[in-house]
Amino acid sequence: MSEANATVDEELCVGTGICEATAPDLFEVGDDGVSHVLVASVPEDRLEAARRAAADCPTRALKVE
Amino acid sequence: MTTVMPNADSINLSDLEFWALPPTDREAAFAALRSERPFAFFEEPEFAFLPPGPGYYAIVRHADVEAVSSQPKLFCSGNGATSITDLPVELNEFYGSMISMDDPRHAKIRRIVSKAFTPKMLETLVDDVEKITDKILADARKVAESGDGTFDLVKHVSAPLPLKVICQMMGIPEDEEQLVLEQTNFILSGGDEEFIQDENEAMRLVLEAGQTLAGIMGRLAEERRERATADLTSALVRTEVDGETLSHQEIASFFILLCVAGNETTRTAISHGVYALHQFPEQKARWIADPSLTKTAVEEIVRWASPVIWMRRTATQDTEVNGHQFKAGDKLIMFYNSANRDETVFKDPDVFDLGRDPNPHFGFGAPGPHFCLGAHLARREITVAFRKLFEQMPDLEVAGEPDRLRSSFINGIKRLPVRLTGTA
Repeated sequence: MSEANATVDEELCVGTGICEATAPDLFEVGDDGVSHVLVASVPEDRLEAARRAAADCPTRALKVE
Repeated sequence: MTTVMPNADSINLSDLEFWALPPTDREAAFAALRSERPFAFFEEPEFAFLPPGPGYYAIVRHADVEAVSSQPKLFCSGNGATSITDLPVELNEFYGSMISMDDPRHAKIRRIVSKAFTPKMLETLVDDVEKITDKILADARKVAESGDGTFDLVKHVSAPLPLKVICQMMGIPEDEEQLVLEQTNFILSGGDEEFIQDENEAMRLVLEAGQTLAGIMGRLAEERRERATADLTSALVRTEVDGETLSHQEIASFFILLCVAGNETTRTAISHGVYALHQFPEQKARWIADPSLTKTAVEEIVRWASPVIWMRRTATQDTEVNGHQFKAGDKLIMFYNSANRDETVFKDPDVFDLGRDPNPHFGFGAPGPHFCLGAHLARREITVAFRKLFEQMPDLEVAGEPDRLRSSFINGIKRLPVRLTGTA
């Protein structure tokens, strides 16, 4: 079973919430104004959504590997 | 397309008359620039007796706009993102907001409110946006019925909707909404004589508009310092950056940014959307028949309207963009409207296609840290506006040509005559 890790570089993140809009079960912008990954690792059936969120991140803060 | 391609060398983007040309002529001009002068240099337009600067480069291709926008260390916002002319320091008091700042300070200020604009948080506003829209449409119908069936879509629908939503989010009382709208009209009038007749007065009027908005903010901030509510103003006055609360100037600038950005843009998108559905009735029929089209339809409306035409960056060092050299201090103007019609990215870019997918438009900005804070809110407002228009005004027809704002910055529509036929 392949899983992946998602990480948010908090220096780059400005909390646009595009990841949250793409995969609200995986990402959420916190009160600190930056995005947080809600899962320990990304399940296989959500990998495509997570990768799309990373591709669409306007500051390249989100990485999925 | 029957418009003749203009001679690329004769195009002058700094001539305000260019921006008064019909849209198809302007689009043809940008197509010529993309093809033949992708980094065209222009003398700066005149602005209010300020000494003219050295000029700017027009960045017109999608890939080049993306390169500039996504490298903020090389192409900064700190010299001013919303003005080609370098503005005098007095204007920074009202207009020196985070849009013209660089990281780390930009990011620290932005993060204060970014949570308030996220999709999950905006869910709590859904009912509000719906209620506001219902009332606006009911009031518009009353206006139509009390007269000859016509009304101005901008005045009665596209302007009040984002205005009421952003004012409610900020905590601005209803009886001050109109005053806010008047100031934002001045600030983004861009040289259109309807708003500022005398160029000599332009600086004074823009300063006064900033002062008026700052005055509204000052009173509201005091009230919220005494007693916090859940609104954005309460967050602004309370939060600390680097152990300090925002200064009075920073709060005023932020407030003005939200008022201006939260008003002109969404109303422009709604107005252009209504007019486009009139010009392309088969798209309108397609959307009405298939509400699942909404997500792509909203994106296509934003691409088509491109409400914000450009933003400026300044090179921080000698550098290059896709092979073209720039020197430190060069001013680069990213033309989102042109990127959004780039034929190397969009198939049939001059076709209004509500099912367009993918749609990598830059209507909310290109990738980078300044990407539109209000993008989710705008999408929600546009979504609700059109759903409600289809439900409550199926008898809406466009009754005349749009009266366009003459501005290089905002692709505005000042008036759009429409009528309700009472049939459907």
